[in-house]
Amino acid sequence: MTEERTPLLEVTDLKVNYGAIAALRGVSLKVYEGEIVCVIGSNGAGKSTLMNAIIGQVGRESGDIHIQGAPLAKRNYQVVRQGISLVPEGRRIFAPLTVVENLTMGAFPRTDRSKIGDDLEWVYTLFPRLKERCGQYAGTLSGGEQQMLAIARALMSRPKLLLLDEPSLGLAPIIIKDIFKELRRINEENVTILIVEQNARQALLLSHRGYVLQTGRVVLEGDSKDLLVNPEVTAAYLGTGATRSAKAEKKS
Amino acid sequence: MKEVSHGLETFLQQVINGLSLGSVYALIAVGYSLVYSVLLFSNFAHGGFLVVGGYACYAALKVLGANIWVASAMSLVGAGIVAVVTERLAYKPIRERTNVTLYLLIASMGMSIVIENLFVIFVGGRFRALPPVIPTSPVSLFGLATTSAFDLLSLVASVVFLGALQIFLLRTKWGLAIRAAAYDLRTAGLMGVNVNLLVSIVFFVAGALAAVGGIFLSVRYTLYPQLGGITIKAFVAAVIGGLGSLPGAVVGSIILGLAEMLTAGFISSQLRDLVVFSLLVVTLLVKPSGLFGKNVSEKV
Ligand SMILES: Nc1ncnc2c1ncn2[C@@H]1O[C@H](COP(=O)(O)OP(=O)(O)OP(=O)(O)O)[C@@H](O)[C@H]1O
Ligand SMILES: [Mg+2]
Repeated sequence: MTEERTPLLEVTDLKVNYGAIAALRGVSLKVYEGEIVCVIGSNGAGKSTLMNAIIGQVGRESGDIHIQGAPLAKRNYQVVRQGISLVPEGRRIFAPLTVVENLTMGAFPRTDRSKIGDDLEWVYTLFPRLKERCGQYAGTLSGGEQQMLAIARALMSRPKLLLLDEPSLGLAPIIIKDIFKELRRINEENVTILIVEQNARQALLLSHRGYVLQTGRVVLEGDSKDLLVNPEVTAAYLGTGATRSAKAEKKS
Repeated sequence: MKEVSHGLETFLQQVINGLSLGSVYALIAVGYSLVYSVLLFSNFAHGGFLVVGGYACYAALKVLGANIWVASAMSLVGAGIVAVVTERLAYKPIRERTNVTLYLLIASMGMSIVIENLFVIFVGGRFRALPPVIPTSPVSLFGLATTSAFDLLSLVASVVFLGALQIFLLRTKWGLAIRAAAYDLRTAGLMGVNVNLLVSIVFFVAGALAAVGGIFLSVRYTLYPQLGGITIKAFVAAVIGGLGSLPGAVVGSIILGLAEMLTAGFISSQLRDLVVFSLLVVTLLVKPSGLFGKNVSEKV
């Protein structure tokens, strides 16, 4: 990637505390337009905290975040208006609302109401199953469909940058594969993606560049294809480590 | 034969009265439930909004000499603003610091006492009657029963306002956002909703609906600073219907209004409150989540 360009998102020395607990201890990362960047790390590394701090749901202790060189707002609704949206961990779809109502909520901040219909069609072409179920209550969808809905809902604000917090969580491998394929397609339609994942292999296979987060610090960064064969990464996140965490996930 | 028809007439009359009273309860219960559904606490200051509405209407009629339409509009807006200010002053600082809704409940009890006492101090504790701006003349219903114009009017007004609320919630962008927030406020924020503005809108609507109830209740029972205590009935109705459920609040209110009026008509007026609280106890024993209640685990 050409380093002279202004990054779409630049996080500099971000620190976040929960009371006495330091969840992020100075994280810096850059995401350039058009990229897919992943952050991998195990339970409690601070991945969700990073996402929530960017989107403005969690307050920053210190550090700066810039979007296209301009300071990013601190309040959630202003961040969304600046062109970032988050697919939260655990999907968090609005179960008692219908699929189409969920998607309409995703378009909440938009003022160009006439174009919302086109974007509805756009997300339906990405996820045709949502179209078939558009009148159905979101709570009745399967786990995979709910994840598709959460992604489609986040796209309805037409973000420049899409944040994803563990989209693979609790899904069968075949569905994970489908969803990651759609993410690549979304990226090809000019949506930059920052994804955090415990499922390191899938995330590295999908992304161009990656960061490894460990107890609130970035310990490693590089091109994803290099990280995939990096001995430290394979030992801690891919090989036996990955199977262990997959087992733990199954148990819970 | 004559006794039978007399019994039927009383029954019909009390049903109308019950629907009328129940629909006023519904206006109060719905606002209260709306706040509960978004912030998950029982706002005990809700009765205060009703009193503000009653006094605002009284002042507009008596002091400003406004007509009932202008006075009602001022009352609704006034109570709505007081509700928003109450939230900003007393609840917002708490909900921004903690997720423990018990603190909100306690703050609301405090605000309820504050509002009541502000009226006692600045307006006085005596009972006031609104000028006769709402007709109370008897109306014959197809020769079957007689009721008062007031009961019919309060029933119609309640239906109109509840219908308007329903349209707002189902057909508008902010209405959708409120329904989403009632399920998950945080995630509504993720969608780019200004959560503080949403909460203010909810309080404004709740306060304005309480004011409508307040106007009708002050005609029915006269106006005094403790009139807000009557919201305990609306709370009971909301619990019977299922906390946080708007259809539940309406159905619970109607049940309560009918139960009260039928008890008054056929047994004794003094047993009204006993019946109300018996209904509450039975609901809590049989179905604690209320008729339309969601299981708490279903909420986030
Ligand atoms: N609301 C909170 N209050 C206190 N501590 C928290 C809170 N949320 C997270 N933490 C702590 O901050 C650290 C980072 O948590 P975070 O949820 O960001 O991790 P994560 O990488 O997303 O983990 P997972 O893979 O399990 O989702 C953990 O030690 C966690 O216990
Ligand atoms: Mg997480």
